[in-house]
Amino acid sequence: MAKAKKNKSTRKADIANRMPLKLNPKRLDPETSDEAINVLIVGVGGQGVIMVSKVLAQICQNLGLQVKQSEVHGMAKRGGVVFSHVRFGKTVWSPTIPKGKADVLVALEWAEGLRWMDYLRPDTGIFITDTKRIVPPFACRSRILGADIGYLKDTPDDIIGKVAETFAIDATDMAAKEGNELAANTLLLGALSTTLTFSNEVWREVITQMVPPKTIDVNLSVFDKGQKWIEGSRKGEPVEGSAFIPLVQPEDHPVRTTLSIIEEWCKGCDICVKMCPERCLTLNKDQVVELADPEECTGCHICEWLCPDFAISLNPALNPPPNPIVQEAVA
Amino acid sequence: MNKHVMPQAEQPAEQGNQLDKIRDFEIQDYLRLDLFPHFMCPGCGHGIALRALLWAIHDQGIDKDKLAIVSGIGCSGRVGTYIDANTYHTTHGRPLAFATGLKMARPDLHVVVITGDGDCLAIGGNHLIHAARRNLDITCIMLNNEIYGMTGGQVSPTTPYDRFTTTTPAGNIEPVFDASRLAEAAGAGFVGREVTIHVPRLRDLISEGLDYKGFSFIEIMSDCTEINGRKNDLGSSSEMVLGQTRSMRPADFKYGEYDNNVVDHPFRPNSMNTGVFVKSDRPEYGESYRELVHDIQKKQKGH
Repeated sequence: MAKAKKNKSTRKADIANRMPLKLNPKRLDPETSDEAINVLIVGVGGQGVIMVSKVLAQICQNLGLQVKQSEVHGMAKRGGVVFSHVRFGKTVWSPTIPKGKADVLVALEWAEGLRWMDYLRPDTGIFITDTKRIVPPFACRSRILGADIGYLKDTPDDIIGKVAETFAIDATDMAAKEGNELAANTLLLGALSTTLTFSNEVWREVITQMVPPKTIDVNLSVFDKGQKWIEGSRKGEPVEGSAFIPLVQPEDHPVRTTLSIIEEWCKGCDICVKMCPERCLTLNKDQVVELADPEECTGCHICEWLCPDFAISLNPALNPPPNPIVQEAVA
Repeated sequence: MNKHVMPQAEQPAEQGNQLDKIRDFEIQDYLRLDLFPHFMCPGCGHGIALRALLWAIHDQGIDKDKLAIVSGIGCSGRVGTYIDANTYHTTHGRPLAFATGLKMARPDLHVVVITGDGDCLAIGGNHLIHAARRNLDITCIMLNNEIYGMTGGQVSPTTPYDRFTTTTPAGNIEPVFDASRLAEAAGAGFVGREVTIHVPRLRDLISEGLDYKGFSFIEIMSDCTEINGRKNDLGSSSEMVLGQTRSMRPADFKYGEYDNNVVDHPFRPNSMNTGVFVKSDRPEYGESYRELVHDIQKKQKGH
């Protein structure tokens, strides 16, 4: 699904025909360019952002170019934000990319990519992104089933026109089909390689050095897939893995469950009060549990399951609305 | 001999199915409501274990008329009383012996034994090892609260080192039994251990044990809050339940080349391991017995 936009008329035509336009096939050449080439790689901890930037930096070093890489990963191990700036060329001064100057933005996670989009050059920037969505815990502030989830609702169609060229690839799914979903970052490297002038041999050699020995075959095959994906998409051929399942956010109608308490059976052991994640139960003056804050109850069943006296039962909510984001987050 | 298996990683089931599974189970269908509230102390883990057992029975789709609960003496023995099925309250330490007779006579019944640490390991220790040796199709649920609760808090074979009880006023110095290892060594076909705080996991473990054809021994780490907890200052009921997560090693814990049930010293377990320890394909005793009888009868008719 290559979306390339220059003006309004081509954009409309593209939407109408669903045919990607062949635009901007020029590759970025560090040898001829006076300015440094800027590649920004973003994602979530654990996805391999640093590995992608290391491969790119190593190639530049091997070719005798100046290269500066600057990353933030700190507390991001497993689940936090990670970004890495890679700048290379004949001479590079600053290690960081200013806003609006990145030539290529590689995003390993959908929302992260959209968050960094304003770093791209507005006229020529290329946006390569995985459509993989990782819902962070703080996007699920309300734990009530069916409640609104604060994850970005944009689809690839929504970013048409905002950048020069966008490639939204379901890289994680494609890599999983090849045998290892962790190789999704190499698939995006393959996609990235189509925007630069480095030869295939150089890419493959450095990837072979960088990845764990057991995964070399998988990584090289997904690298090819990434390249083919971009080439096919630029030619307008149908490409696999381009399906983007839109996030259907249900209308905000949280499922309310009701808690019923058999007071005669409660012995006031306090387990439910202390274990409730929402702190919505209390013991009253008779040392019997009561639901102090019914609005807060999410129906998680913990009090029901841990009650040794079977005094609490949760009336099941019937037919909760299907929530694809929750299912994705759970899976 | 016993074949050790790796505990199966939980398959991420579809959320819809999980919700149905939760909604489907109504515990009051399985209880003798006229006996409630039950006699157990506030915060006693046996109640949570009873929920998990009934839930597993529900999941297995076992008919209440085909279910026989055999229980011994003690707090654990009284748990069986509250189940609305065929229940059999037997003498101290002998529920496995009674259950063996019952299962031999009525192989169509699902026989579940509820027993405690004192009942099963001290008074009925011999019955346990022989039931495990025979591998008769019985599910033995041992509620391990590490003390004799009903009689006032005497030391039991699983009371940990240094614990104060009424019979060890200066602290316990007896080495303890690791009940799961004992059952495994005696030949039990299925051995597992779980804590009460992880109710769904406990349910799945019991469910697997009920499904297993042969002797399944399930050790449930339960809290005695009033007798054991109070005397040893182990905290309130909720603190004891939460404490289980600190003192247990989860099923996925790996230690060296072994899977998960590793003790540093025999008969002196370090942090307890949870999960399925043994699932073997030993022949089931009742089946072998009936085959033998069948063969003999055939021969006699032939003559």
